[in-house]
Amino acid sequence: MLFSHARKRDVVNTATATRVARVDGFVVLPGPARVALLRLGKVSGAGTLLAWEDVRGFGPDAVTVANDAVIRPPRDGLEQRAEDNDLEILGKRVITERGMELGSITDVDFDPETGAVTTLLTKTETIAGQRMIGLGGYAVVVSA
Amino acid sequence: MTTPTPMLLLLASEVTGRPVVTLSGELVAEIKDVVFERSGGRIAGFTLRNPGLFSRSRKDALPWMGVHGIGRDAVMVAGETVLIPANEIAPRKQARDADVLQDRVLTDNGRDLGRVVDVVLHSGTSLEVVGYEVEASEALGTAGRHVFIPLPDTVAVSGENLIVPAAACEFISEDLAGFGAAVGAFRARLREGAS
Repeated sequence: MLFSHARKRDVVNTATATRVARVDGFVVLPGPARVALLRLGKVSGAGTLLAWEDVRGFGPDAVTVANDAVIRPPRDGLEQRAEDNDLEILGKRVITERGMELGSITDVDFDPETGAVTTLLTKTETIAGQRMIGLGGYAVVVSA
Repeated sequence: MTTPTPMLLLLASEVTGRPVVTLSGELVAEIKDVVFERSGGRIAGFTLRNPGLFSRSRKDALPWMGVHGIGRDAVMVAGETVLIPANEIAPRKQARDADVLQDRVLTDNGRDLGRVVDVVLHSGTSLEVVGYEVEASEALGTAGRHVFIPLPDTVAVSGENLIVPAAACEFISEDLAGFGAAVGAFRARLREGAS
């Protein structure tokens, strides 16, 4: 499933059957490349992050959670940067470990069952998710 | 005889300003200057400045051993821990002596080939100086034009003169594209001559 298709999906609490948030973005971490957190909008509480392990299902029409308490604020510096959008992967430049730029990320394909990132897409390149080494404020680094 | 393999070449001037990026994707610094080893044959490392238009020099430097990869768009490092204090990479005076720009290139039989305007580097297991871009002297018939002169594995540097074997004149290129092959062929010739 592409990030571009999965964004804006409703997050639904299965205990109350109510919509509690909307998916605004994805926080990808390397080693192995995976969706670690969802960034949420239209939340009722203070928190805007949802850890992948707290997602019950990532379906074609909605993302489900067991209760509202799993939507939470950042717990550490890395999560704070994620919430501040510093680690947003879409639009970020891709550089190989040999110092060559491959363009900017236009979309990401991931497995909605596991959260594993399968492919990074730029305007001209299709890059296997396994090649991702790092993701920082400046770039996504991939193996050569 | 084996055909020399093409080399990936960079000009030292092009490395200046390149971002230094960690494998975790963070921007650390920009390259300020290339620091040559005193022998002139290799690169000791790079001095750094903070990124940005009005950036300041930094007190740390990147030794060649700390470089993970060097390419067209960035110099890659494993992390900031590879940086060392700038005075450990080259004391100020040594850095000045090892600067070859504007030095005269002389052949070992005494011909002045011109003055160095840039240094050609080959990125392999080490970053090696493989040639000079020279503003050609009258001796070359292309006076005033910029040409590329290949270097042997080792080269003598005095602070004003750079001595190259006379045979280097036969392997001069007018563009960088053909220069990698010229360096390989020149070095093969020197090895044949030595054996």
